[in-house]
Amino acid sequence: MKLRWILSGLIALPFLFSLHARAQNAPSEIKIGTLYASSGPFASISMPVYDAFKLWIDETNASGGVFVKPYNKKIPIKLISYDDQSNTATAATLYNQLITQDHVDLLVADSGSVLTSVAVPIAREHKMFLFDVSGTGGTFFTKDNPYIALMADPVSTIWPHYISDFLDDEGVKAGFKTVAILYATNDFTGTQANALKGFFEKDGKLKIVYYQGVPTSTSNYTVLINNIASLNPDAVLELGYVGNDIAFLRNLQDSGNKFRFVFSIYAGTEMDEIQKNVGVSAMTDIFSYVPASNYDYKPEVGMDRQQFKAAWDKKYPSGVAFGANAIYGYMTGLVIQQTLATAEGMSQMDIHNAVFGLSGKLKTLDGTFELNAEGAQIGEITPLGQLQPNGKGGLNLVAVYPPDRANGKATLGQ
Amino acid sequence: MLAGAIVAGVMFGLYFTLVGLGLNLVFGVMRIVNIAHGDFLMLGGFATWWLFTAFGLHPLESAILVLIVFVVAGLPIYYLLIPRLLQARDAEMLSLILFFGLSQMIEAVATIVFGTTERSLPGRMLGVGPVIIAGARMPKPWVFSAAVSAAAVLLVYLYLYRTRLGTLTRAVMVNREEALATGIDIHFVSAVAFGISIALAGIAGVFAPFMLGSITPGIGVGINITAFAVIVVGTLGNPLGTVLGGIIYGVSLMLMQTYLSSWANLLPNLLLIAVLLIRPQGLLGRQVRRA
Amino acid sequence: MRRHSGDVLIAVVVVVLMGVMPYFYSNELLLFNFITFLALAQGLNIIYGFTGYLPFGYVGFYGAGAYGFALAVMHLHVPALIAMLLGGVAALVLAVVLLPLLRLSGAYFAIASLAAAQAVYEVIANPALEDVTKGPYGVSLQDVFAPRLSYFVALAILAGTLALVIWLRNSRFGLSLRAIREDQVSAAMAGVSVVRGRTIAWLLSALVAGLVGSVFAWHISVFYPDTAFDLGVSIFATVFLLFGGATTLTGPLLGVIILYGVYNAIGITVPQYFQFIYGTLIVLLVLFLPNGLVSLLTSRGIRVP
Repeated sequence: MKLRWILSGLIALPFLFSLHARAQNAPSEIKIGTLYASSGPFASISMPVYDAFKLWIDETNASGGVFVKPYNKKIPIKLISYDDQSNTATAATLYNQLITQDHVDLLVADSGSVLTSVAVPIAREHKMFLFDVSGTGGTFFTKDNPYIALMADPVSTIWPHYISDFLDDEGVKAGFKTVAILYATNDFTGTQANALKGFFEKDGKLKIVYYQGVPTSTSNYTVLINNIASLNPDAVLELGYVGNDIAFLRNLQDSGNKFRFVFSIYAGTEMDEIQKNVGVSAMTDIFSYVPASNYDYKPEVGMDRQQFKAAWDKKYPSGVAFGANAIYGYMTGLVIQQTLATAEGMSQMDIHNAVFGLSGKLKTLDGTFELNAEGAQIGEITPLGQLQPNGKGGLNLVAVYPPDRANGKATLGQ
Repeated sequence: MLAGAIVAGVMFGLYFTLVGLGLNLVFGVMRIVNIAHGDFLMLGGFATWWLFTAFGLHPLESAILVLIVFVVAGLPIYYLLIPRLLQARDAEMLSLILFFGLSQMIEAVATIVFGTTERSLPGRMLGVGPVIIAGARMPKPWVFSAAVSAAAVLLVYLYLYRTRLGTLTRAVMVNREEALATGIDIHFVSAVAFGISIALAGIAGVFAPFMLGSITPGIGVGINITAFAVIVVGTLGNPLGTVLGGIIYGVSLMLMQTYLSSWANLLPNLLLIAVLLIRPQGLLGRQVRRA
Repeated sequence: MRRHSGDVLIAVVVVVLMGVMPYFYSNELLLFNFITFLALAQGLNIIYGFTGYLPFGYVGFYGAGAYGFALAVMHLHVPALIAMLLGGVAALVLAVVLLPLLRLSGAYFAIASLAAAQAVYEVIANPALEDVTKGPYGVSLQDVFAPRLSYFVALAILAGTLALVIWLRNSRFGLSLRAIREDQVSAAMAGVSVVRGRTIAWLLSALVAGLVGSVFAWHISVFYPDTAFDLGVSIFATVFLLFGGATTLTGPLLGVIILYGVYNAIGITVPQYFQFIYGTLIVLLVLFLPNGLVSLLTSRGIRVP
């Protein structure tokens, strides 16, 4: 008996030593590299992500660091970040710098498809896993590139399907027959418009009477709205960036035209920003996406929306807009946290396996994290919502579809 | 649809007449292309936004303020930069590069001070509800800006043809050396013209948040090409020509938006190149500029 | 031969330096960008320094080269080196189409070339041409991705461009170009073919930009139309050229090394002020040092390579 104990002790000893040794080999900090744009066209989507990510890092470090399974201990995080000023060539150089000079352990992309696009081949070449925050370009996710996964935004080819589902369902019930689609010609909105066209044509319940692309720099929609109005569609979907939405909503109000259903991407996702420029009356009854910053999911990991907003307001009292992008930044932090907590090793392929292992299982304040085989985000899809008057002269973004996510009913115009 | 596009085109085009008017004046007088013109417009727009958010000033009141401040500011800017420049051998190219540097400076300062997010003014300031012309629904602000633009053209015309300073300006526009020889203080005349030019840009900027939906520090660049196209089409040096140029631009843009919407931005570029190559003196060409 | 030697020495030093740097400094993309701007500034030098025309829309040729390369790879399935030559050809074709612009003078030419570059961008980025150019959705050329090889090809292009500028500085043709720039009428009377001279300079300049654009597309392999036609490229090349001093070999080299070097250094610490700094720099330059940094020496009669 005693021999057995001694034997098992002897056998256990090397394991104990190796654990101790591994803890000895543990680095003193985990280096995470990322870029942000403090100026230029992408600053407004980049800074909230960056600030939220920093919030996650500060909170994690305050509790001793992030738990890294391969070393079985908490290690503090060091953030190495550079400003790419929304310039893609600069971004490319800086991503390269993070990998080759700073030797970061984890690489996080800047916001949006354009600034993420240059990171994709660089990460791939250096065999470095890329945590893609919100770059939804379809071409990023291919079978032969394992070094990427999309964290927060659903990929543009499936994102808008709740819009078509709603119109095919409740729209048709209310007598809708026709829909008009006006989109800005860039990767983000063009892909969504294309996807919608496909959905409507497949379902065959609504007819597309107007399908036009306009340059992203379009700043006046008066004639376009007039043209659409002359075709009398039941639903009008306008897909553009913030500047397009502002111009469209203003011109729509000015024209006095009324449609039964009007959709704009940023009326919901950047509600405060749009409201400042367009005013409450121009936004009333408009439909939009409901971003996680306006919707309460029940998270299993990390803070929920209320707690996060409170932490955000405390850390950034004056300033950067709290919207979908802030959620994305925090989300990315949570994914990294779970990745490091479940990874079998610290090689980039171990990271890949850990990230993909979270698919379908990670529930956060942004919904359910789910990836397809190529790394595109197919979960975290935003419900369809409507901006309804809240009785106090302001607006509430009410989720109206799908029914299991709705917290209100849609009002369709006459 | 067609009638609506044309009416909208005329009204939108008149706004660009206002945008191009100042550029035309400065080019006619000094043969200098003020490539910072769009940035002065942007400054006018941001000034209006700031005056509204900080003091609640109505845009039309801001317009008057902008007019005065920009005219007065234009004089020292002129004297600081231009006279030295005109002595150089390659004055035209150098002035282009100089104003380009200036435009980058203005854009950088605006970005640092205001940030890059879109700014706008509530539409109701200039009236809510559409004005219906020929079956097309026009926003009230468009009517205002068209009216202001027409007034500006008239005022510039009166300045050039009915005031003494204006007559001197026209003399300088025709032949600089001869004007100098007759004892005209060409620098003062030019400085005033420059001041008026950037004031016109500023006033156009006041209406920019209404015509263009929102403004950011970077809108100057795109506006420059359009403004240049408008004045070249309508003949340099002739304010009435700018009216024509603006209308042509506006109408063709609206027609493009109706029939070939994704190509709409190609228009000002092609228009500019086509006119420069085919008829460089513009449509009202009498003041022949050897392009 | 003695007159050439200073020029050639400098060119060789630069090329060799950029060739060995990757072994010491691993951010090779930064070095690649340096090579790009060194070549572009010289390409712009060919047209501005030798004929006095400044195309604000120089990036149009760069973008044409990039898309020429991309189209050749995507539709013709040719190997990368051939696609590079085709990219150069694309830029040349564009230059030929835009030849009439040379009739315009100074400022008109500058702005018209800008409008032309924008027009090309609008055509390529249009969704109507999605099947051909992938429109606004961006190009992805994963198959030909070869960072090492494309780096050295870029270096070869730089070497070729420097050789071209050296030749222009020391040849009769280059002299005739400068004569045209000084006084067109007298040059014509002396028997110089003004039109032919300008045309050749224009085509050479476009070719340089086209090849640089092609190798950029090859090196980076994923890009949107906005990246290929980014006006910032023209602006930087112009600023670097003017700062250093046109018409010389070392002027543009100095301009790029100093300013782009400073840009990358500050860019990492105080980036948003950079635009203000180079805006002010340009204004001061035009007012006080219109012929660039090297004019500090050339105005004293010292010949700068």
